[in-house]
Amino acid sequence: MDLNFLVQQFLNALQLGSLYALIALGYTMVYGVLLLINFAHGDIFMVGAFLGVFGSMVLNLPFVPTLLLSMVLTAILGVVIERVAYKPLRHASRLSAVITALGVGLLLENGMLALTGADPRNYPENFIVTETYDVAGFSISNVKILIIVLSILLFLGLYAIVQRTKWGMAMRAISYDKFAVPLMGVSQDQIISLTFILGTGLAAAAGILWGVAFPVLNPYMGLRVGWKAFIAAVVGGIGDIRGAFLGGLLLGFVEIFVVALGQPFGISSTWRDPIAFALLLIILVVRPTGLFGVARRQKV
Amino acid sequence: MLLSVRDMHVSYGSIKAVHGVSFDVDEGEIVTLIGANGAGKSTTLNTIAGLLSPDSGEIIYQGENIAGMSAHSIVKRGMALVPEGRRIFGNLTVYENLRLAGFQLDSATLNKRIKRVFEIFPRLEERRDQLGDTLSGGEQQMLAVGRALVTGGKLMLLDEPSMGLAPILVQQIFEILREINAQGTTILLVEQNARMALQLAARGYVLETGNIVLAGPSQELAQNPEVQKAYLGG
Ligand SMILES: Nc1ncnc2c1ncn2[C@@H]1O[C@H](COP(=O)(O)OP(=O)(O)OP(=O)(O)O)[C@@H](O)[C@H]1O
Ligand SMILES: [Mg+2]
Repeated sequence: MDLNFLVQQFLNALQLGSLYALIALGYTMVYGVLLLINFAHGDIFMVGAFLGVFGSMVLNLPFVPTLLLSMVLTAILGVVIERVAYKPLRHASRLSAVITALGVGLLLENGMLALTGADPRNYPENFIVTETYDVAGFSISNVKILIIVLSILLFLGLYAIVQRTKWGMAMRAISYDKFAVPLMGVSQDQIISLTFILGTGLAAAAGILWGVAFPVLNPYMGLRVGWKAFIAAVVGGIGDIRGAFLGGLLLGFVEIFVVALGQPFGISSTWRDPIAFALLLIILVVRPTGLFGVARRQKV
Repeated sequence: MLLSVRDMHVSYGSIKAVHGVSFDVDEGEIVTLIGANGAGKSTTLNTIAGLLSPDSGEIIYQGENIAGMSAHSIVKRGMALVPEGRRIFGNLTVYENLRLAGFQLDSATLNKRIKRVFEIFPRLEERRDQLGDTLSGGEQQMLAVGRALVTGGKLMLLDEPSMGLAPILVQQIFEILREINAQGTTILLVEQNARMALQLAARGYVLETGNIVLAGPSQELAQNPEVQKAYLGG
């Protein structure tokens, strides 16, 4: 196994992992604020990718405007979904909220299928022109670097919002104790909307970048990816954004290296998912609250 | 009249907790509401602060009926509640707790108010970057009062600030409440610790199973045989 191969796999792992990470952030933030597992989140990621098709193919926009358009429109969709579908159930049972989320996911998948048909879509040739650079003897693709760097920047931006701004403080405060938050002069609805804006905006960015890296978009693409990102969020410690990001990266590495290192031993790539999930389950057995999670204090 | 509660009824689902309570708080006063466990003291305060909606009745604050208004818009009008059990955000630092309490303030006002809190409670400034969870009970109560000082200004509602504190700390907190009041904040204090509350407040109301059964100047209440028997240990 030569070094160049390893470097390529390393970049692949970072690329895949940072995409999982961007999606996992949305699961973890919504859970932190609402204690709701938003099972429609994978499908929101899919919508983001398809809005990229809309921006690039229909409106003929270049990459950056398409990315921004998709993030904004998807964020609006996220807020609308919360207001229409989840808010009325805020005091209902956990189960009805989960079922509603699954229903919203089905609606998005089938709505997109009806709208665009079953043929796989991709972005135009000139959306991102792939180039390969030679760096110290290793060939490095601009697409991978773009995806990795952009994901890290988006994460750092989110982290700064959550740690440094009053809105981020309010998000953290809600996840600790909802009761006292309105007494600080904070509108809980506003903070919940903001959470959905951030989470779904990042999922849209992940959707576009996914479509650039793996150019076969279909209305069901959010299912598998969404589940994996959810598991990444749980492994990271659901409710903690550092955990979600790390969990996503970890899952990317496990998946890529199970295939890369397994091949010489005759382990076929169909074993990728079972082995990846088994490893993650082991982490959860050892640390049930995930990498960054702390057991929730029981509140009175 | 700064606050005037008129025939307020509050219930939790089918359970009635407050049955037509009326009382007043004048600008600049310290008024106390005493009563045993389950009398409806917290329910009354939480409803005034907008955390609960009354079934009926009026809550006139600065001439405006705020019954049913959301808590965050009541905060905007200069009212702050120090809730029962303090409710500090344990995952935020002392500074972040105070910062969040000034969510609606511009940064100049915010900094001025936080500075004042640190002057009143130097202990909080020493623990500025410590997480709320790691504070002692007394420090948490200081932070809870500090938060209300940042949020409010006009009217402060306090729900059993003495709960779980050593007598010397209770003395300290009450001393500070007196000072805050002297500097212009009106105080409505809910207490089970009737002795301390009646010493601090000029007037009081006694609440029993959701009804006000006695009202009057603190000295009179403290002399009342029924109050002595029920709340002052004979
Ligand atoms: N969330 C709730 N759901 C149902 N009933 C409640 C709830 N909170 C309070 N109650 C009931 O309302 C009544 C008044 O309670 P409240 O907490 O206002 O009393 P309190 O005077 O503050 O008592 P304490 O001194 O113990 O704090 C009680 O009978 C209580 O059981
Ligand atoms: Mg109470």
